[in-house]
Amino acid sequence: MEKKTVKPYMNPYLAGVLLGLVVLAANVISGRGLGASGAVKSAIVASVETIAPAHAEAKTFYNSYGEAHGSNPLNSWLVYQMLGVVVGGFLSGIISHRLTWKVEHSPKITSRRRLIFALAGGILFGLGSQFGRGCTSGSALSGMAVLSLGGFISMAAIFGTAFMLAYFFRKLWI
Amino acid sequence: MGPLVVYEVITENTNLFLAFFIGIGFGFVLEQAGFSSSRKLAGMFYGYDTVVLKVFFTGAITAMLGLLFFSLFGWVDLSLIYVNETFVHSAILGGVVMGAGFIMGGFCPGTSFCGAAIGKIDAWVFIIGLFIGVFIFGEGYSLWEDVYKAGFLGSPRISEYFGISEGLTVLLVIIAAAFMFWGGEWAEKKFPREDY
Amino acid sequence: MKTFEFSPRLLTTALILMLGLIIAAVPRNTTTPFKLTAEQILDEIKSGTQYLEPEQIAQMIVEKEPTLQLIDVRPVTEFEKFSLPGAINIPIDNILAAEFVDVLNQDIMTNVFYSNGTTQANEAWMLVRQLGYENNYVLRGGLNYWAEAILNPERPASTSPDDELARYDFRMGASQALGGGGLAPSESKPATTTPIPKPKPQGKKKAVAGGCS
Repeated sequence: MEKKTVKPYMNPYLAGVLLGLVVLAANVISGRGLGASGAVKSAIVASVETIAPAHAEAKTFYNSYGEAHGSNPLNSWLVYQMLGVVVGGFLSGIISHRLTWKVEHSPKITSRRRLIFALAGGILFGLGSQFGRGCTSGSALSGMAVLSLGGFISMAAIFGTAFMLAYFFRKLWI
Repeated sequence: MGPLVVYEVITENTNLFLAFFIGIGFGFVLEQAGFSSSRKLAGMFYGYDTVVLKVFFTGAITAMLGLLFFSLFGWVDLSLIYVNETFVHSAILGGVVMGAGFIMGGFCPGTSFCGAAIGKIDAWVFIIGLFIGVFIFGEGYSLWEDVYKAGFLGSPRISEYFGISEGLTVLLVIIAAAFMFWGGEWAEKKFPREDY
Repeated sequence: MKTFEFSPRLLTTALILMLGLIIAAVPRNTTTPFKLTAEQILDEIKSGTQYLEPEQIAQMIVEKEPTLQLIDVRPVTEFEKFSLPGAINIPIDNILAAEFVDVLNQDIMTNVFYSNGTTQANEAWMLVRQLGYENNYVLRGGLNYWAEAILNPERPASTSPDDELARYDFRMGASQALGGGGLAPSESKPATTTPIPKPKPQGKKKAVAGGCS
């Protein structure tokens, strides 16, 4: 594959305005903000219901999800939106020549270590997003866009904690 | 007149269809901004790259302003737009856990899907982690159901909570963001790091 | 940043700040934008879509249709003397009171206004329709016709077409179920003024479910 030069990232403020317009469009068209963790939840609920229906029946978490969202958890707004995110990210990667398989980490650590922490971080984020009723996109960004108090609390808690813990994990990144 | 789906300008199925395109826009912007790179995201917390701060707040402000102006022009009915519910305890707990996950994993859920789309293996692993995390939450739901449902305040807007107008709230956020951007650019100069 | 010039970034900052100032200065737009125009209401009146037939209502009452909400728009005194089963009383003078918005502006129940004739019920319907509320209807013919048609149906001549006889049979049945036989018997219903039904109905247009949960 020919090596094209990787294009620089977009100006962050311009990207921010565009991101804001996407959030705005979601609100004007669908009356709701963006989200990411909700799609993961849909997928989990759908899998558990398929693999172990009796188990899903017995647990409140899966049960109440079904009541609130109808029969097929995968037929939800957020799931379609997340499919779009993957496609959109991929398109952007093509345009800017950034499609490569790689593990990104600080030169001071091994890829293996990076992946272990990525997994741990993912687990924590998955867990936290359920408590927070949404992740950085669903709760913090979209919540702030509609001036939701919860959105501001989530935002402050996420970034505040990350700042406080940053020192302990500095080797991962710098 | 919006939200279009509430006013039945578009059907529920069209809504789902458009969700896909909204997602494309979302993913495209995230990737273009550099959110598919975990080291760029984590840079936020060490001062060498504050793109997260800039994109996040510019995005939030644009959306806030847009919604308020649209409402002013009668293009959208704000009362019909979903406002996230506020459960104080679990919002803080969740935020803290997510913050820890952020600094360890280097992604948030949206950006990890974006990173995965362009082949970041750490993003794939992060996504596997996400699924495990949500699954753990589901399995142990009865253990933390009480915390999860404590401190319910309804769906207040921050403006209502502090008793100021929505417009003024947005203005305050803009001013706060301007200071943060200024601080961020200062930090980027102070802790430069170009090698990632 | 030594030479002071209008870089794009400064310009954007200034623009956003200005927008922020504007939005902070103007009051929030609180007008509900889905009011109907006079023409739209006239169209509905001409086509008579607001009417529900007494037979239809009678059947719903007999079947205890849970979504039926009869609304008596006559004054309290008349409501206490006689009312249809399950009806609540919202005198037309009070129809715009804030406490009734939840009853009138919702998307779960079928509200049916009635008065002695149809004039007051129609007035009530036009008022709420003009506000854009949906699911509100008028009992055709009002109570006068109700008494005539449902409570004391007149047997049609035996030469009448079959469907008229069938309608008569239905009316007789309904009449018995609804305690007919005599003209306007006092329904022995607790005559508390205006019992507001369950608070559950929300705005007609419901905000979409959202968020990540």
